[in-house]
Amino acid sequence: MPHTTRLSLAVLLSAGLASAQATPPSDVRSHGPAPDPVDSAPEPDPEPEPQPQPPAPTASAPAPSAAAAAEPDDVFAELEHQLTTPDSKPAREPAARGAQSMNPDLALIADFAAAWFSDDQHRQTGGHDPSRTGFNLQGLELNVRSVVDPYFRFDANLVFAEEGVEIEEVYATTLDLPCRLQARFGQFSTRFGRINATHPHAWDFADQPFALGRVFGGEGNRGLGVELSWLAPLPWYVELVGSATQANGEGTARSFFGDSDRGVERPWDLLGVGALKQFFDLHRDWSLLFGLSAALGPNATGEDHRTAVYGTDLYLKYRPLVGAHPTVFTWQTEVLHRRRQVAGEVLWDTSGYSQVAVRFARRWGAAARYEAGSPAYALGGSVAEDPLDPAWNRFRHRATAALTHYPSELSRFRLQGSRDMGGAGDPIWAAFLTAEVVVGAHGAHTF
Amino acid sequence: MSRWFAVLIATLALALPRAAHAALSIVTTTSDLAAIAKEVGGADVQVTSLALHTQDPHFVDAKPHLALKLAKADLLIAIGLELELGWLPTLQTGSRNGKIQPGAAGYLDCSTLVRVLEVPTEKVDRSQGDVHPNGNPHYMLDPRQAARVSKGIADRLTQLDPAHADSYRKNALAFIKRLGKATKGWEAALAKAKGAKVIAYHKTIVYFADWLGLEVVEYVEPRPGIPPNPHHVTHVIDVAKSRGVKAILHEVYYPAKNSELIAKQTGATLVKIPGGPDLKGGKTYVQHLDAVVKQLVKIYGN
Repeated sequence: MPHTTRLSLAVLLSAGLASAQATPPSDVRSHGPAPDPVDSAPEPDPEPEPQPQPPAPTASAPAPSAAAAAEPDDVFAELEHQLTTPDSKPAREPAARGAQSMNPDLALIADFAAAWFSDDQHRQTGGHDPSRTGFNLQGLELNVRSVVDPYFRFDANLVFAEEGVEIEEVYATTLDLPCRLQARFGQFSTRFGRINATHPHAWDFADQPFALGRVFGGEGNRGLGVELSWLAPLPWYVELVGSATQANGEGTARSFFGDSDRGVERPWDLLGVGALKQFFDLHRDWSLLFGLSAALGPNATGEDHRTAVYGTDLYLKYRPLVGAHPTVFTWQTEVLHRRRQVAGEVLWDTSGYSQVAVRFARRWGAAARYEAGSPAYALGGSVAEDPLDPAWNRFRHRATAALTHYPSELSRFRLQGSRDMGGAGDPIWAAFLTAEVVVGAHGAHTF
Repeated sequence: MSRWFAVLIATLALALPRAAHAALSIVTTTSDLAAIAKEVGGADVQVTSLALHTQDPHFVDAKPHLALKLAKADLLIAIGLELELGWLPTLQTGSRNGKIQPGAAGYLDCSTLVRVLEVPTEKVDRSQGDVHPNGNPHYMLDPRQAARVSKGIADRLTQLDPAHADSYRKNALAFIKRLGKATKGWEAALAKAKGAKVIAYHKTIVYFADWLGLEVVEYVEPRPGIPPNPHHVTHVIDVAKSRGVKAILHEVYYPAKNSELIAKQTGATLVKIPGGPDLKGGKTYVQHLDAVVKQLVKIYGN
């Protein structure tokens, strides 16, 4: 990332934050006339033409009881009058809102980690995984969101890391296409599988499953392109997604063009991703998400060589909606099967993970994950040398356990331990203690 | 291949008319809004609530099938004031339905209809907990605000469906009359409660207290959204004892343990407040509020 970009992004960031502070945006607004606490909610004098309640700015102190006590009759009578008078005006807004702001919503998410590896040659594959013994900045994510106009919304995630800044995602989403269609364009994480389109903030572990890093790269599969999705008009939730993106990117499409940008000469030089997502509301408290995905594109090992990745994902969630239980239980599994044409051969391998997470108290959660990845096989069934990971010549397993403490919804601490076995070397132990803080107008979560 | 395509088309052809049939489809975020939309819309609308009355409206999972409900909606009615900030935008975008996006005629933010309390007059930040920077969103426990909401819904329905304007107006009028009468009754029954000191779990209770003239002297949560700790609970017990608190107001979607403990230690009564009417049980808004008021009448009534 060139230095100038880094600088200008930093300026943008500070300007954005400064303006956010100067014109208190969605967060703090000044309200109408100067606050004149408590007494400011007197009854409007009864006039022939009933008036709405005046804006009643109220201090956050205990309720202004004296003034409010006389209100009810008035409210009901006034509303009745409005409804029975044929040309009464439509409901007015009693609460005048303060100055609105057109600034986009900004949120910052900072992830830090203290890490220890039993071997410096660890095999973490995630771009934002803790990567050295000692302290790590996993990333500072600046999340910018806004509606553009009645037709589009805008989302951007800029990630500031120790190496510099990257535009992780920046895209526009349509809001009003006909026939339940939706399009996205820009740079975005493709919707292959479940975890690929999510951000570390939404993960149950401090690192990314190695399957994702192995197949797509440290950042997961994303790229510049377009996506079209369709919500089927069926009684249950069925969504079909298709996208076409650039097939290059060392950290985003390593099984495809990877770090060699070969350009697009034909449509099939793009990376195509298709996904079918289904959701089942099994019971009030139980839900199930099931997905099938495929990523098809060219690879860099030779002319007309192709790679295909097929994936399936399952997400089962239990969260009681009655009885104020803080309990949440989830089970999430993904399997990725990859086939690549390389010089004179077709290689295939399978990797995946399965994890359970339990929020057993309002502030505490625990999670366990098992991951496995086969070596690359030739079609005949013999282990073959993988051109991307030459040392990965055995089955690799990793077992991980994590305990998370949430002081609030906006901060968390996580202690995680893992043992990585097989694959490309001796077993490795790793321990992480991570901290995350979120500030600003944090956006809504997906399911 | 082509046979499969034909099957797919046939399936869709069967499914499409379901989405298009008759009445105006209204989706509300909470069950109290749904109950009022039903009263106002009557036979001309179909109403669904995204959250159950037992669910904390701050933390609803954005389950994909809820987006499906929104995809078919003609009108989305929300509380606003950032109450649904953590989940509704995802569903709105996921619904692909231009009619119910913010700013469209099919999106009604009811906070624009009511008298908003606790609008911060100075800078707030999250050291104060889960504060709502544009004001307190829990206004549906005040019948006066509910009446305003019903009028606002009638106006919006009239705009969307002018053919049934008369019916919406009549329904709203009938509801407001009924609610106004009930409110008079509740106020009379709780006249003695005016000025009474109460403890509440969350800031959900501010409008309710404002309406009845109750004074909330302390909250079980040390700050909004921050779960109670033993130290704070001890403090609340002390406050309750020294200020003569007789009622602990507790929303059913929060863990009851600490509120029960405080009630037990101080001799105060636990008043359970549902997140809205039980729609499946056929309850109306008036019945919902009546059930809450009755609990208070037992404590403060004649």
